[in-house]
Amino acid sequence: MKKSLFSDQVKKQLIPWLLPILILIIWQLLSSKGILSTKILPVPSDVVMAGVELIRSGELFQHLLISFKRAIIGFLIGGSIGLFLGLINGLFPIADRIFDTTIQMVRNIPHLAMIPLVILWFGIGEEAKVFLVAAGVLFPIYVNTLHGIRSVDQGLIEMGRVYGLRSWLLFWQVVLPGALPSILVGVRYALGIMWLTLIVAETISADSGIGYMAMNAREFMQTDVVLLSILLYALFGKIADSMAKWLERKCLNWNPNYQNL
Amino acid sequence: MESPTFGTYLQINGVEKHFGNQHVLRGIDLEVQPGEFVAIIGRSGCGKSTLLRLIAGLDEPTAGEIKANSELMKGLNPEVRIMFQDARLLPWKRVIQNVAIGMKKEDLPKAELALKQVGLIDRAKEWPHVLSGGQKQRVALARALASKPRLLLLDEPLGALDALTRIEMQRLIERLWKEQGFTALLITHDVEEAVAMADRVVLIEDGKIAMDTPIKFPRPRQRGNAAFAALVEKILRRVMGEEENTPAVYARQST
Repeated sequence: MKKSLFSDQVKKQLIPWLLPILILIIWQLLSSKGILSTKILPVPSDVVMAGVELIRSGELFQHLLISFKRAIIGFLIGGSIGLFLGLINGLFPIADRIFDTTIQMVRNIPHLAMIPLVILWFGIGEEAKVFLVAAGVLFPIYVNTLHGIRSVDQGLIEMGRVYGLRSWLLFWQVVLPGALPSILVGVRYALGIMWLTLIVAETISADSGIGYMAMNAREFMQTDVVLLSILLYALFGKIADSMAKWLERKCLNWNPNYQNL
Repeated sequence: MESPTFGTYLQINGVEKHFGNQHVLRGIDLEVQPGEFVAIIGRSGCGKSTLLRLIAGLDEPTAGEIKANSELMKGLNPEVRIMFQDARLLPWKRVIQNVAIGMKKEDLPKAELALKQVGLIDRAKEWPHVLSGGQKQRVALARALASKPRLLLLDEPLGALDALTRIEMQRLIERLWKEQGFTALLITHDVEEAVAMADRVVLIEDGKIAMDTPIKFPRPRQRGNAAFAALVEKILRRVMGEEENTPAVYARQST
């Protein structure tokens, strides 16, 4: 009884990985038999070897670190600005009247369209990447924070007022927790944009980072390193998403919709 | 236990409330003694909920004045608590934290006591969403009473409950009202509930007080009693606007 329960658990955990593993095996077979040219796609085992080699030389870690740093700093700056604007526009109608139209106009410019301008401003330095990431994550967080604040149950706010909660306490105990599910949706969405922006920015103009590593490898026809870079981005995307999920479970544990994820 | 004048002495003089061209309240005069239990009945849209919001200080009257303990009210009245039709518990706070809302940390024992009084102390650590509708309303009642209000406003708090839970809640509210001595204002459209619980039943019709009947039955009240049933019938007919001698076509609302 106990044993079958255990194997059921394992099966459940394994099922999502079956398809990726199968694809890898077929790919390995096709490449090693020469059906698939290594100029188009490298052999998976070569990608692993390239990874091992780059880890050994310390190069990978260096590029990883710099990409991470850009992502996080950009996210923090853009996220804070988005959160702040969302909060004040959601809480104070006067702020909304002053800022919202402008924000909506800027929001509709694809932030990647600013790359030429950003290169003119900052060259290919760190500021350029951080700026682009910040500009990318700002709006999803802004929009979702604003929406979250606006959709807080008015009945609960009224209750809070009757029960003696004033300004700051009312915000902290009623408005913010009520808006949090929506804010976290914004965070999750923004994390996706963060990687996307970083990849584009590093690929076009950089002298370090994963994107640079990929572009550099392209010049030397190292398809294995190019592929490794792409896989690393996929891995980071997954990690960021898991972190956001964890945050949701942690912050929204009161919500039955998030309890059994 | 409490002094006989613990409850709020409420005076409402010539209160009117207009929303644009709509005159919801057209001159309400009502005096409620400290510790009195008054039920306000009326059809939906008669303005009874609006009156309650004015008394709580959530809205301001267009004309007239409301005095609590002979003082003119300004803004939200801190000695008032409302029990809403929907429990309005904060889903992100545990039951005990919901009861302790707006209270200082050192007052937590008061919240625990209130939760004990409604018989839910063993659910203190639960999230509100696991409770049944009746339990949620009991938590809401505990929350309302935890801070020892002098005036409790009940805005159809039992409307959504099933018959048995409802009677149980009515008894609980009546008991706690007797123990604590607050003034209670119950809005309901259930005439039987009004007669079972209140010292006085006030009918609001077209934004005015159309009837004000004292209920003199001794407590605890026997609902099966013929005099009780006759009074409920009489008030119900008055609410429906029927003549005294025509038979009631509307079945009595079951509780």
